[in-house]
Amino acid sequence: MAGLTLKHIYKVYENGHKAVNDFNINIEDKEFIVFVGPSGCGKSTTLRMIAGLEEITAGDLFIGDTLVNDMEPKDRDIAMVFQNYALYPHMSVYENMAFGLRNRKVPEEVIKEKVLNAAKILDIEDYLDRKPKAMSGGQRQRVALGRAIVRDPKVFLLDEPLSNLDAKLRAQMRTEITKLHKSLGTTFIYVTHDQVEAMTMGTRIVVMKLGYVQQIDTPMNLYNKPYNKFVAGFIGTPQMNFFNVRLNRVKDKVEVIFANGNVITVPYEVVAKAPDKYLHSGVEVILGVRPDHVQVSEKKTGLCGVVNVVEHLGNECIIYADLEGNVENAEEKAEEGMSKANSITIKTIEGIEVNQGDKIYLALDPHRIHLFDKETEITIIEEVPHASSFMGKVSAGKLSMFGKSVALPAAVKDALDGKGEVMVDIPPYAVVPGKDFALEVHDVEELGDVRLASLINGDRYLYAIVDKKVKKGDTYEFALHLDKVTFHAGDEVALAPIGEEEALIGTFSKADRRENRERVIDFFYNINGVPVLAPRENGYKMNQVEGNKCYKNNYKFVINRKAIKLAEEGIEGDVKEILDYGYISYAKLDVNGQEILVEAPVGLADSKVYISFAGEDVAVHSLDIDMRIC
Amino acid sequence: MSTTAPKKKYRSQKAAKRASLAASYVVLTILSLIWIIPILWIVLTAFRNDLNESGEIIGTVTSNFFPNRPGFQNFADLFTFKMNGVEFVFLRWMGNTLLVSVVCCILSTFLILSVAYCISKLRFKMRKGFMKFSMILGLFPGFMSMIAIYYLLKSIGLSGNPDNPALSLVGLMIAYSAGAGMGFQVAKGFFDVIPNSLVESAKLDGCTNFKIFWKIILPLSKPIIIYTALMAFTGPWMDFIFAKVIIGSTNTAYWTVSVGLYSMLYSDKGNPDYFTKFAAGCVMVGIPITALFMFLQRYYVEGVTAGAVKG
Repeated sequence: MAGLTLKHIYKVYENGHKAVNDFNINIEDKEFIVFVGPSGCGKSTTLRMIAGLEEITAGDLFIGDTLVNDMEPKDRDIAMVFQNYALYPHMSVYENMAFGLRNRKVPEEVIKEKVLNAAKILDIEDYLDRKPKAMSGGQRQRVALGRAIVRDPKVFLLDEPLSNLDAKLRAQMRTEITKLHKSLGTTFIYVTHDQVEAMTMGTRIVVMKLGYVQQIDTPMNLYNKPYNKFVAGFIGTPQMNFFNVRLNRVKDKVEVIFANGNVITVPYEVVAKAPDKYLHSGVEVILGVRPDHVQVSEKKTGLCGVVNVVEHLGNECIIYADLEGNVENAEEKAEEGMSKANSITIKTIEGIEVNQGDKIYLALDPHRIHLFDKETEITIIEEVPHASSFMGKVSAGKLSMFGKSVALPAAVKDALDGKGEVMVDIPPYAVVPGKDFALEVHDVEELGDVRLASLINGDRYLYAIVDKKVKKGDTYEFALHLDKVTFHAGDEVALAPIGEEEALIGTFSKADRRENRERVIDFFYNINGVPVLAPRENGYKMNQVEGNKCYKNNYKFVINRKAIKLAEEGIEGDVKEILDYGYISYAKLDVNGQEILVEAPVGLADSKVYISFAGEDVAVHSLDIDMRIC
Repeated sequence: MSTTAPKKKYRSQKAAKRASLAASYVVLTILSLIWIIPILWIVLTAFRNDLNESGEIIGTVTSNFFPNRPGFQNFADLFTFKMNGVEFVFLRWMGNTLLVSVVCCILSTFLILSVAYCISKLRFKMRKGFMKFSMILGLFPGFMSMIAIYYLLKSIGLSGNPDNPALSLVGLMIAYSAGAGMGFQVAKGFFDVIPNSLVESAKLDGCTNFKIFWKIILPLSKPIIIYTALMAFTGPWMDFIFAKVIIGSTNTAYWTVSVGLYSMLYSDKGNPDYFTKFAAGCVMVGIPITALFMFLQRYYVEGVTAGAVKG
């Protein structure tokens, strides 16, 4: 019994194809994790890396607390069930199940007990003497499960175990595997391309696409709060309907304008977390609504469609319709470059009287709609919004916002001087307790570890991460961390926020030395000719991932800014500028042509400084392919 | 419409089938006759006991296809005859050949299957390179290396050693089986069909690569083991050119069958008087192989991987 941790796992094949990209997950003991995604998304590759059947290109894989990257599959204490069962055809069921234990020199009587016990759990006691070819698909799959059970592994890996079974048997085995997970109390990792299996079996699901993790969440969260359009479309049958729409806010309502001219309205609260730029008809977004959340309406308003096909499934009925709208309006919208909305799928309970060719009116459940950015396809209604945007006015070194006026720190003043009206994107974590501004708390949401307060400013909300004391109805006094916000003047970014990390390009090297007469190898990151001692395990990883070319190539060293300190000696940098943000100040340094920002006192008078950081705080990235090596 | 379309004439499917079958059989019969006549001729010659005017058996009869006077004298002579001062020790030759063939069969089969397993189921650097290289090497005739092999074996005393002529047979075994691994292609093709998941499953079950080969792959590979063993046996059993070079012609006791048979085609007079005996020897050589094949062929029938995976 053990958990698993995958940290920055990559799989890159020799031809340069990246099968798995920066896979991170912390799997708790006894969890049932499902990897799901279309073919070629890297789910099986990840599973095989966990099993040890595939080498890990970069990253760390822990089973329990043990780093197992280099451990033989047999020593990892895992058991795997293969898609095609992989039973040894020349051995009987008993021998198949006993084979692994015999290899481990387990006494024969213990083997017998374990095999009989597993056979009992799986109801295959009567078949122990049979050869696999004399068994049905379902029975063979049980034997494959039994072979895994007898091993008492820490982790169970299942690679599409049900995809070779027929539909009825699959549903049956699905519940059996779920039961097995409960009774064994072992960590299960299950790979499937079938979203029904994923939704019904997993405690958490990892949705993957083209080697990238799209979302890791519970089945219900995946269904209700898909992070992007891919997840939204992949989870749920029939598939979610997608339409290109524009949003237009009218007081406390938001109009959703379809390409064919149909308009529906939803309450503003539903889209309150969406960035303001989406709410003024300017930007096209993707509206997603599940067939379950569309209803045929009695009222003759809202979306209008013509029925194409009706599928009666007994208990429910699936209607495929083509949206039909105001033709004039549609042409007008088409001229504006909006793509035409087309078909819609509706899932309703049986008993509704519709036929092909009927004209129906549809109502969407406004609280169950999903909105995605058209370019990135990421949801625009994030639980913790990316940022909320408000207008501010800069004049005479002061910023007027939220009904107050505050003096700007030097760095902001210099950048915004003479810009006048500016748009300020404020991330929730940039709103901190202070005395500069005060707004009324509209509501406080508990989102896991985070408390998110919505502060009322006019007809919109400013979101802030707050502590336990803040309650609904309070007046919240706050200040802004201006180094974390984005200022826009017109269409241009007038002042960009300062990130958490800095990157420097450098090389990697090693050096021998003697310690108590023994040869010791030290590894170094060399930046601008200055060596920084690298953790030894990272040195080995560099060698393993990159081979001998690790001493020739250049690498990108990413360092958390907080870890970079001014020091007496170290990497030399010319001070270009001091940026004073009031509560914090930075020095802009030129390190041999590379510009970086480090925290520095306002009064820093030197024109040359030295910076230092510990090798432990450095993440090494490859420059050839986008990959974090260690 | 009132006008009926002209009726299309259909040929009877049965008749068409019969006609095509008949044509096939005619072609096949002709082909098989071309193929079988030389064999038949050798067999018939072996039983030819035709006499010349002075009442001796004629060694080279080519004028009539069927023997005028059939009999077993040629076979009997194989074990008793003396020719040009060379004693026919046919049984001894058979024994030598059998020994070489059996040893080579075991060694070669093991080597071929091991190499095929590695190439098919393991992944290592230069795997593809090796496959291409071996294919190109395989395009050259084996006897190109003959002279080199002869001198190498001679230098270590395994060929033409006057003190111990029996060592030539050891040299022959080495020459036959050392390069056997290069003939991995057919077995590799067979192993490729065995699902990789069986190998992976065994790995998770704690097997080493050798154990996987021995306990999982070999038990599933009876047909290819039989095939490989047969090929590895018949090669040395029938080979003449390496045997002739390595064994030489000094001591007839250490000849193989093919070297012995070839000697029958020679005579001091310049014309082969012992051709009928040569034919009898050929038939004798063919008997064990035919028997072996008939005994082993039933293992070809079933692909034993049935039941390993979805079926």
